[in-house]
Amino acid sequence: MQDNPENTLEMKTAAFLKLTLVITLLSSVFYSCSDSFLEVPVQGGVSPASDPDLAPKLVTGVYHSLLQGSSFGDGDIHGFAFISVTSIMSDDADKGSTLGDQAVPVGDLDNFTISPTNRFAETLWSGHYNSIGAANQAIAALSKATSITPALRNQLTGEVKFLRAYLYFNLVRMYGAVPLVLRVPKDAQDANSEPAFQTRIAATIVYDSIARDLQYAVSNLPLKSQSATGHANKGAAQALLAKVYMYQNKWDLVKSLTDEVINSNQYQLLPNYANLWRQESNNNIESIFEIQTGGFNNANLGPDLYTICQGVRVGGGGGWDDLGWGFNNPSTNLVNAYEVGDLRKGATILAIDNSGTHKGTILWDGFRVPSSDSVQNLFYNYKAYTSKEKEKYADKNDKNRPKNIPILRYADVLLMNAEAALQPSINQPALALDNINKLRQRAGLTIKGSVNIADVWKERRIELAMEHDRFWDLVRQGNAGQVLRAAGKTNFVDGKHELLPIPNSQILLSANKLTQNPGY
Amino acid sequence: MGKSFSRILIFTVLTAISTSLAAQGRLVKGKVTTLEGGKSVEMPGVNVVIVGTSKGTTTDIDGSYSLELADSDKELSFSFIGYTMKTVAIGDQTVINVVLETDTQQLEEVVVVGYGVQKKSDITGSTANVKGDELYKQPVLTATQALQGKVAGVQIISSGQPGTSPQIRVRGVSTALGGTAALYVVDGVLTDDISNINTADIVDMNVLKDASSAAIYGSRGANGVVIITTKKGVSGKLNVSYNNNVGIRQAANLVEMANSAEYSNYVQAATGNIPPATNYNTDWYKTILRNAWQQNHNVSISGGSDKSTFLVNVGYLTDEGIVIDNDFKRLTIRVNQDIKINSILKVGFQSSYTNSVNQNGFGNIDIDEFGNIGSVYNDAYRAAPIIASIVDGKYGNTSTYQNVGNPLLDIKNNRVRVSADRLQGSTFLEAKPLEWLTIKTSIGADWRNSLNRAYHYKFLADESTFLVAGGNQYNNRSNLNVKNTQSLQWVWDNLITANKKFDKHDVTLLIGTTAEEYHNTSLGASRKDVPADPSLWYIGVGDANSSQNEGGGDAWARNSYLARLNYSYNGKYLLTATIRSDGSSRLPKQNRWQQYPSIGLGWVLTRESFMQNQNVFDLLKLRASFGIVGNDRIPTDAFTQTVALNKPYPFNGSSSASTNGVQINQIKDPNIKWETTEELDFAVEFSALQSKLTGEVNYYNKTVKNALINVPIPRTVGDIDGVILTNAASIQNTGLEIVVNWKDRINADFSYSIGGNVTFNTNKVVALNGGQAIRGGYIGASQGFTTYTDNGLAIGSFYVLKTMGVFNSDSEAAAYTDTNGKMIQPNAKAGDFRYQDVNGDGIIDDNDRVLAGSYQPKAYYGINLTANYKSWDFSLSIYGNSGNQVYNGKRAVRIKGEDNIEKALVYNRWTSSSLSQKQPAANVGNQLASDYFVESGSFIRINNLTVGYTFHQKVLQRLRISSLRVYATSQNLLTIKDYSGFTPELPGDPLNSGIELSAYPTTRTIAVGLNISF
Repeated sequence: MQDNPENTLEMKTAAFLKLTLVITLLSSVFYSCSDSFLEVPVQGGVSPASDPDLAPKLVTGVYHSLLQGSSFGDGDIHGFAFISVTSIMSDDADKGSTLGDQAVPVGDLDNFTISPTNRFAETLWSGHYNSIGAANQAIAALSKATSITPALRNQLTGEVKFLRAYLYFNLVRMYGAVPLVLRVPKDAQDANSEPAFQTRIAATIVYDSIARDLQYAVSNLPLKSQSATGHANKGAAQALLAKVYMYQNKWDLVKSLTDEVINSNQYQLLPNYANLWRQESNNNIESIFEIQTGGFNNANLGPDLYTICQGVRVGGGGGWDDLGWGFNNPSTNLVNAYEVGDLRKGATILAIDNSGTHKGTILWDGFRVPSSDSVQNLFYNYKAYTSKEKEKYADKNDKNRPKNIPILRYADVLLMNAEAALQPSINQPALALDNINKLRQRAGLTIKGSVNIADVWKERRIELAMEHDRFWDLVRQGNAGQVLRAAGKTNFVDGKHELLPIPNSQILLSANKLTQNPGY
Repeated sequence: MGKSFSRILIFTVLTAISTSLAAQGRLVKGKVTTLEGGKSVEMPGVNVVIVGTSKGTTTDIDGSYSLELADSDKELSFSFIGYTMKTVAIGDQTVINVVLETDTQQLEEVVVVGYGVQKKSDITGSTANVKGDELYKQPVLTATQALQGKVAGVQIISSGQPGTSPQIRVRGVSTALGGTAALYVVDGVLTDDISNINTADIVDMNVLKDASSAAIYGSRGANGVVIITTKKGVSGKLNVSYNNNVGIRQAANLVEMANSAEYSNYVQAATGNIPPATNYNTDWYKTILRNAWQQNHNVSISGGSDKSTFLVNVGYLTDEGIVIDNDFKRLTIRVNQDIKINSILKVGFQSSYTNSVNQNGFGNIDIDEFGNIGSVYNDAYRAAPIIASIVDGKYGNTSTYQNVGNPLLDIKNNRVRVSADRLQGSTFLEAKPLEWLTIKTSIGADWRNSLNRAYHYKFLADESTFLVAGGNQYNNRSNLNVKNTQSLQWVWDNLITANKKFDKHDVTLLIGTTAEEYHNTSLGASRKDVPADPSLWYIGVGDANSSQNEGGGDAWARNSYLARLNYSYNGKYLLTATIRSDGSSRLPKQNRWQQYPSIGLGWVLTRESFMQNQNVFDLLKLRASFGIVGNDRIPTDAFTQTVALNKPYPFNGSSSASTNGVQINQIKDPNIKWETTEELDFAVEFSALQSKLTGEVNYYNKTVKNALINVPIPRTVGDIDGVILTNAASIQNTGLEIVVNWKDRINADFSYSIGGNVTFNTNKVVALNGGQAIRGGYIGASQGFTTYTDNGLAIGSFYVLKTMGVFNSDSEAAAYTDTNGKMIQPNAKAGDFRYQDVNGDGIIDDNDRVLAGSYQPKAYYGINLTANYKSWDFSLSIYGNSGNQVYNGKRAVRIKGEDNIEKALVYNRWTSSSLSQKQPAANVGNQLASDYFVESGSFIRINNLTVGYTFHQKVLQRLRISSLRVYATSQNLLTIKDYSGFTPELPGDPLNSGIELSAYPTTRTIAVGLNISF
């Protein structure tokens, strides 16, 4: 460098200074973002990692999922779809409303013109599996939870297993063999490739799984008197297990379990049958397990559409602000099935005044329903009636006022016990008679001197009318086709219509790994 | 308005006559030449015009001309396309010879590319430029809409709804999710929505179409990039201008529904019941639609010195909307300024403020309790004409008759107002320490605040509301819902550009960094029993026992490093290479960073020596490019497992107390990756015949790998929506774009241009990694899904039953049996569709569906025509779309015997005497999804027709006006379409697109306006 002339050095110095300026500018301009700049957490997203007390909340979430009533959307367990397949499909009820209203999908269920794409058959499928998914998540979280005592963990697990058993029991009754999913998928790959998620398992195996879950619940849940209201308890697990065994004709087990429930002294019949469906009797002495409804965040909380779809519908001349959409009308077949003087008839059937005298029908709370010239149908489900004025709601002006739905009540246990008692292997007809007469007495009827299976079935129908039991009960009895065709449902095909179609979308998604039910 | 307009016309005509009468006097003549290869060449066809008049002539074959002059004529101008215009003072000369020089400036047009500018001739990627003038003359809300038909490869799907932006698709649909919109870069600020930008503010829009040009935007470039440059002041004289247009909008292409008599006839035929006789004959669409006023005003002031320039533009737009009670207003204020601090430093800012208020814009369409899309438009389609709309303040009760809301009441019972403020701007500091080096840092920000207020009146299903009480259209308690959302997005760019020329080598190197961050929060509340007086519409007024509230937020960040090298050898061989490294918080840590490289090559043949002896082409250029771009526009919670909150259960069956719970009801993919788009582009560009003919032919092949898609998963795993978002698809778009423009100036009085562009695109899903086809387009209980996306098919292909005519008799239906003699359609009767039993299993079900085309167009095109004759200007633009299908979902939502029917179907239906094989007999709706509903989506439309008149300066001087133009314009004057529904333009997400359910009717606008500057 010393060889270079002076002026070149000066020039070089100037260039160097300029370069320094440039580099300074550059480095001030070029900042390097630290990795943390891109570490932006999900805003407002609570993750399982950030909340150690999640497990008990997840259990409540499983109960919440029982309120699914999105019958046209994501999923239904106790909404319009549930009503349709348990009640409208049976001989107890007709579709109702106006002729064309919901001809698809409800009319198709009522008339047994069901296609594999029936929306309700799809949303019941997704609703139940949504709930089973929530249950599986809760069980997985409980097994890892460290902030709760082992006793509480077992009890909560028992509650969730009870709910999972109930959900599978519904599924197996609706669809027969179904995929048995008892775990959480690891990831997307697992969700789409695990064969168990898309393969139907024989109904007997599903029933075994249901029984296992319920046996766990029976062992780990306290009696009703020792458990909090609304939670699954030992009696509920025993009663549900008895019912599960009844569907498998395991009568000895039905008998012993129902005996245990009866002898537990936790339950009695409520003296007034009609009161069973009033808010004041929520979780009454007869209640074994019921879907709880109420309010949350200044709004009503209950299955979407459950009461509004069954409410009395304006028709004819109109002129009044009606109660709902008028679906699930008690059929004349049911109306005519009651014996004269049966108090249960008036408690079950909201009959519209068709006398021509325009007196209308005065309901228990004093509300007057106009006579038939202003009402669409002649009969409505009184068990789904909510009183705007005499009952309490977070939002009473909402027509879809929530209503608790009894799933298991003591009367059902007495009926199961009676049916078991009449089985040849058990043969205790006096016990059966006693149980049936208890119900008849409450209903204001004369007691019987003897009962046979047919009497018990008849009593079951009347006692549990419009309580989501009839269709499945007919299938269980093995005479669904005979009874339903006699009731005018001539499209019923034996060996097909006992079950709903597996949702076609799911069959397509599984690339036919899921099989369709016969006949669809 | 009409009166003053006719006055202006008369004035104009008189002016024109007086101008022509003024001509008289002396003669001037001469010759026009140019230098070509050192030799003087005579130039024929040169325009010679007397400055300040419309009088002139053109040179003849040997370049000579002669003109008669008036005493007042001072100057002559000589112009020819491709040459610099020359103005010569006449003085007392009688011979004026002129030598014209080729206009290098014009050939060296500079266009804005990502993070810089480039000479148009040096560009190796595929870009298209549209000038602001061309956009502004169209009476539309957003510049995006005005782009329709102007640019090859860019499909615009318009929406008629005020305040909403149309959908833009650059070179086909290349992602399945919502993030299909192009990226807009407004003066350096990146955004997805430019409905705040006043079209009058725009200098030009430059669309970067291929990966080579968009790769500099890396992860933001996959759907194309639209760079918008707003106006700036120019140093010199202060310029004040005012532009406006006022017009009327109406629904175009309404579907005519049956009147009462036709309705009764049809319903009787369908159900056997005679509908009740009434005196009403309601046209429900007429009831809820109207002719709407729209107006647009802009005042602009600009100017500056050699140190600083500024521009202030204030715009005000109102658009009533064709649905009654709708009203949209937008105020925009723009201030742009550039200041030279010294010879090295320069600062500037661009800023815009927008306030918009949208009253009763029916953007929020709810799903009704039956799972059908319920809306005013659907109700208007279904509501029976025998029911009154409103009589003496009482509404006809459609819901008690047929379970459909009264569409008029649907509108009247809601007051929804969305008011939004948006402040968008950027500021930069630029240093040029060395001749070849520019360092620039700029910060852009976009702040938005919006307040939604929805009020629902209380009304009962009784005689205080309706003519007849009853039904299920009621709202027992008034409800007020308020939601406030605020967001801030900032972007900081730092760029260094070095440009050096060595001999014939020209090298430009750009390196830079950018960082971007976004945050938003929202807070909403609602209460019931708020009184109907608008002055009481505040949350505090409502019943506290009914209060609900919600709040949430979102945030993301991006960080990038970028570099670009441009190399040109003698303007002949061109190379562009870019690389961008992008990091995004939207992706999990292990997949967070991605590199996006691209390379573009160009060869300007006309610069080669072997091309020097031809005089056909002024420019002939071949170019090829390859690049990779990406897309990270996915929800920020896509890969993080979160719990669904507020899942309570009322254990005590109590009306007030519930135990709160949570659920895990979504299965997430923790390994989400970037979508990467690889694109190959070949093109030839030319300019010929003195630039009269220009054009471009472009081939592209664009493949998106790892496209994010909602893959359906078995319902049995308990995912609430039954889908998982994951990188599972590969989508390909291949296409050819052809652009040809011709412009010529016949003489001083008449010049014209005609241009056309067409894009042929083939969209294909090439791989679904999950293996399962995706069913979409769910439209209600009886139809189920309607689209199918699978390997080898266009995305969202329609997948429906195939009709084979109509049964002419019950016995014909009974004779339609399978091989066992079993009826294939057991419930079918005369007048029902015969569906093809594709799989031959003897029943018609989803397994018999067949493909029936898709919404993706095979081709779309634009034709643009302009002409100037003396002071008149005329332009016409046509846009069309062909080879795609749409699904007439409106017909499909007809689900009851009492639902109204299209007038055409009343007459065209199958009857025992007509035996139509195309239309079924009168029916009660609930038809199966079939090709009956699939119709051609092709259409051609006169998008815009404008006629303008520019006043002569002489006339204006007296009024101290420097220019004045009046014009009349029409948007969507005429659409020719096959489709029997409202509009074949149906924005929507790709898997479910092309289904018309509740589309806002497209509108036609006729407006007049003026442009005036002082």
